[in-house]
Amino acid sequence: MTTGKYFGKSVLRLEDKNMLTGNVKYMDDIEIPGQLHAAFLRSDYAHARILKIDVSEALKRPGVVAIYTAEDFGDFWKPGPLLVPPPTAIDGSQFNARTLVPIAKDKIRYSGEVLAVVIAESRYIAEDAFDDIIIDVDPLPAVVDLEKAWEDTSVLVHDDLPSNMAALVKQEVGSYEEAKKKADVVVSRRMLIEHVAGAAMENRGFIASWDDQNQVMTIWANTQSPLTIRGSVARALNLAESQVHVITPFIGGGFGPKVMTSLSDDVLLPWISLKLKRPIKWMEDRRENFLATTSERDQVHHCEIVLKKDGTILGFKDVFYHNTGAYDSYGMTVPLNTQTHTISNYRVPNFYSEIRMVFTNQMVVTPVRGAGRSEGVFAMERMLDFAAKELGISPVEIRLKNLLKAEELPLNTGVIGQDFVVNILDSGDYLGNYQKCLAEIDYDKFRKEIQPKARAEGKRMGIGMVAFTEGTAVGPYEGCKITVSTSGKVTMATGYSTQGQAHYTVFAQIIADQLNVKIEDVRVVTGDTNLFAWGAGTFASRGAALVGAAAYLAAQKVRAKIFSTASKKLEVPEEEIELCEGSVCVKGQPETSIPLGMLASLANPMRGVVEPGVEPGLEATAYYGPPHGSTGSGAMGVIVSIDEETNKPTIERMVMVDDCGTVINPLVVEGQLQGGISMGIGNTLYERLVYDENGQLLTASFMDYLMPLATDMPEKLEIIHNHAESSLKVNPLGIKGVGEAGAIPPGPAIVQAIEDAFGVAGFEILETNLSPSQIYEYLKKAAK
Amino acid sequence: MKVEGDHLFKAPREVVFEMFNDPDALGAAVPGMQKMVKIDESHYEAVLGIRVGPVSANFSGTLALTDVVPPESVTLIVEGKGGAGFVKGVGYVKFEDLGDQTTLLKYTGEANIGGTLASVGQRMIDSVAKSMFKTVFEKLDKILEERWQKS
Amino acid sequence: MSEKLFPITVTVNGEEYHREVEARLLLSDFLRHDLGLLGTHVGCEHGICGACTIIFDGEPIRSCLIFAVQANGHDIRTVESLGTPENLHPLQQSFHEKHALQCGFCTPGFLMTLVPYLEEHPNPSREEIREAIDGNICRCTGYEKIVEAVQDAAEKLSQKK
Repeated sequence: MTTGKYFGKSVLRLEDKNMLTGNVKYMDDIEIPGQLHAAFLRSDYAHARILKIDVSEALKRPGVVAIYTAEDFGDFWKPGPLLVPPPTAIDGSQFNARTLVPIAKDKIRYSGEVLAVVIAESRYIAEDAFDDIIIDVDPLPAVVDLEKAWEDTSVLVHDDLPSNMAALVKQEVGSYEEAKKKADVVVSRRMLIEHVAGAAMENRGFIASWDDQNQVMTIWANTQSPLTIRGSVARALNLAESQVHVITPFIGGGFGPKVMTSLSDDVLLPWISLKLKRPIKWMEDRRENFLATTSERDQVHHCEIVLKKDGTILGFKDVFYHNTGAYDSYGMTVPLNTQTHTISNYRVPNFYSEIRMVFTNQMVVTPVRGAGRSEGVFAMERMLDFAAKELGISPVEIRLKNLLKAEELPLNTGVIGQDFVVNILDSGDYLGNYQKCLAEIDYDKFRKEIQPKARAEGKRMGIGMVAFTEGTAVGPYEGCKITVSTSGKVTMATGYSTQGQAHYTVFAQIIADQLNVKIEDVRVVTGDTNLFAWGAGTFASRGAALVGAAAYLAAQKVRAKIFSTASKKLEVPEEEIELCEGSVCVKGQPETSIPLGMLASLANPMRGVVEPGVEPGLEATAYYGPPHGSTGSGAMGVIVSIDEETNKPTIERMVMVDDCGTVINPLVVEGQLQGGISMGIGNTLYERLVYDENGQLLTASFMDYLMPLATDMPEKLEIIHNHAESSLKVNPLGIKGVGEAGAIPPGPAIVQAIEDAFGVAGFEILETNLSPSQIYEYLKKAAK
Repeated sequence: MKVEGDHLFKAPREVVFEMFNDPDALGAAVPGMQKMVKIDESHYEAVLGIRVGPVSANFSGTLALTDVVPPESVTLIVEGKGGAGFVKGVGYVKFEDLGDQTTLLKYTGEANIGGTLASVGQRMIDSVAKSMFKTVFEKLDKILEERWQKS
Repeated sequence: MSEKLFPITVTVNGEEYHREVEARLLLSDFLRHDLGLLGTHVGCEHGICGACTIIFDGEPIRSCLIFAVQANGHDIRTVESLGTPENLHPLQQSFHEKHALQCGFCTPGFLMTLVPYLEEHPNPSREEIREAIDGNICRCTGYEKIVEAVQDAAEKLSQKK
């Protein structure tokens, strides 16, 4: 199935009209009668011992209902679960699990950690009460610098560990040291990947409401993983999963951090609701979001590449430090992604990669759009640039020589990834993507005409050309249930949750084609655990591929049921029946038909007999779990100009070639890529979470954390879909994810272009996040 | 945050030094100072309202004078906390007699800032600190003028 | 120690409301929680993101940056004053057709920034549109399709005249 009436078409989104008119409810729009408001008093210190927290004055304030510190939770206080298992699949790996705690007890480990929960009649009053709470702490020096923290054991984030090592994972393919012996050229560099925020426009929120009569805890949460929340609430309160009902409202963006459970909300607030027998609501504010919602990147890479004189890569070595923050509940998803993506689009026969994951006195690091892939791609792409300079060849030539060709796939890279299986590059034309991008941006014309002309006029213009892969659609599985109602309308329910990815439309496209109904008649419900209770969550660009495949499989089951039921009713063999829009008819006799709604009634007889082995209703559930992820790929070309006086780069033109397999909705895919690109541009030129040496976050507002704006986008942006006919379809529809692709290549492409624009010997950019003043610093260094 | 600067007082060193040990004078000179009480010879308690960009809050804390070498130098240790975070700082103040009944005050110091003050106000702290010093010295100049010229 | 209440009269989307509010109540909170107009979203509470933009006496403003008492006697329009799902405003229709929204959280702020803008600039260039929306943050779309939608809406609106 590549195209249908809806599938493969730019169908306009079904969810738009209500969203555009303010007719959908986001988290803060949910109000439960009788609700109280929670506010979290957060630590000003990044690292300190708690001596005393005195809330007695605060409790006297009118409107304050209760205040809880860690002590008040008694035995209920415990560190949260390890959400992603340790990397035991990798031989010799070491992992120290120190999971997030719901509220600081004895020791504070990051600035923003919760010290007290205030419950009051309004949020205003709850925050007023902060002023009356007396906190006495003994401050400790903070662990901030990754490389220092690895060696230095004088200050420990976790006192019971001998060092600040969270994990040490080494993977090797071939023998890097042997390759080095044979190499003509050895190039090594140290590079920084800066710390950035997910920064969804909607902050996080949570409501817990205990129903004493039915013994059910109802939760509203704008989470990427409602089923994880259901499990954690049930576990914490010793309830059956069926006693916890999690509902996700419309969600104002996810980008990764909303997959993480922060425990202060999802563990403490249900407990408090149970205790006070009142609904409790918490809505995060933007400062809290910066301080206490997880973020990502922040790695230091020590890379070495060894090559033959002609530019052929012989080996690559990368020892990198990865900041996991104060706790490591989310395991090693991010650095493992880095490890797989460092070499994933090039022929690298010998590869050594070592993850040194470090505890610091900072907020926990979990995936943010790009999620480790950006870092690995940045490291490799930069090293190719440095190697090309060393060899005196162009950055394009070195890539053309080493990029994998279509016929080399599928390829087992031998590197174990975030899903703990060996990374398999299933399909794609990596070299072809790059060549297409070169042609589209007209690389030769830029080199021969545009750049010399600009230089002659005293203008600085440069070009950057990089390649990337995006590992997507990892397991374990997702599923859905499709039901044809007696009205003839179709409902699909999945445990997956939605943050704006057009799920209501793209899943409906798949189902409408399979059941031959109008797309408006397909209603998709996401993230309501009472309607569908199995699944993992929204992450790793896996919705379209996994839920999409499950929808396809479930629709086929329903379709089979429609045919068998109709065959009996119409008394004609199934082969002589077809689906007409919204009904079933006999081939060649369109007048002999039954509407789907009537068939749904017949499939659920109120009297008579249902034949043995037949389930009532036109309904089916299906699951899909892939054997391994599927890898998208592409290339990016960027032309920048640099302001003479301020060094500010402007992106004049950007061309992105992307292969995300089969496309359900081209318009939606383009939107995903453009959004990802803006994040990649922001990460490269504007965004940066800055922690000072005491672990204080200095950029906890949009005044200091600069988000990319409309005028920061490329003057001209072209996106080309380059679908290589897959030799291997990992899932039934041949879909690969696309949610993160856009965020991956802008970093290396833009810095390569900036370097090229200056064309100054010794001018080398060794980090992401480049402000004009940092460009100036690099130029000064080059001049020395 | 590091601070550094100097100011020329038109008064003899002893007078300037004495003023620095007078809580009333200091209290009156610091903008936003709501209360300043001398606990003992070298300790003061104070409540100070600070406004840094969008952050405004009361801070309560202590000021300690150590290594007092009259009339040459003094070390100030400030610790304060409030709803908007905390400040911990140390300042080294030197009084140089330039003769002609003028005194040059030189100061260097370092402050640790945490909480909202750091996470939201950080960008503005330097300029707020500078303008605060400016105001303090202007006020002290006036106080000196009154005291010195009266006497 | 409950806060003193002040009576205010505000016209919102053509309807007059009389309410008593605390002096410190933000206009955004007043619109959302006191009047139940939930289409105005709060993204940062410090005036940068633009999600809470409303039209105040004809001008787009950030409702998180002023207090409800300051709106006393003024005229306010929120996203609820534009179209309905069945009958979208031309700008909303263009946002739909050009896929100019994803999570939709920032969208009301963009719409309320752009409605008065298009009244004053019926025929803006791509560059002018980018500048017009430079005070609104969208994390999902990368702005490209918003710019396309505004161009499309400008055409639709000028044909209507």
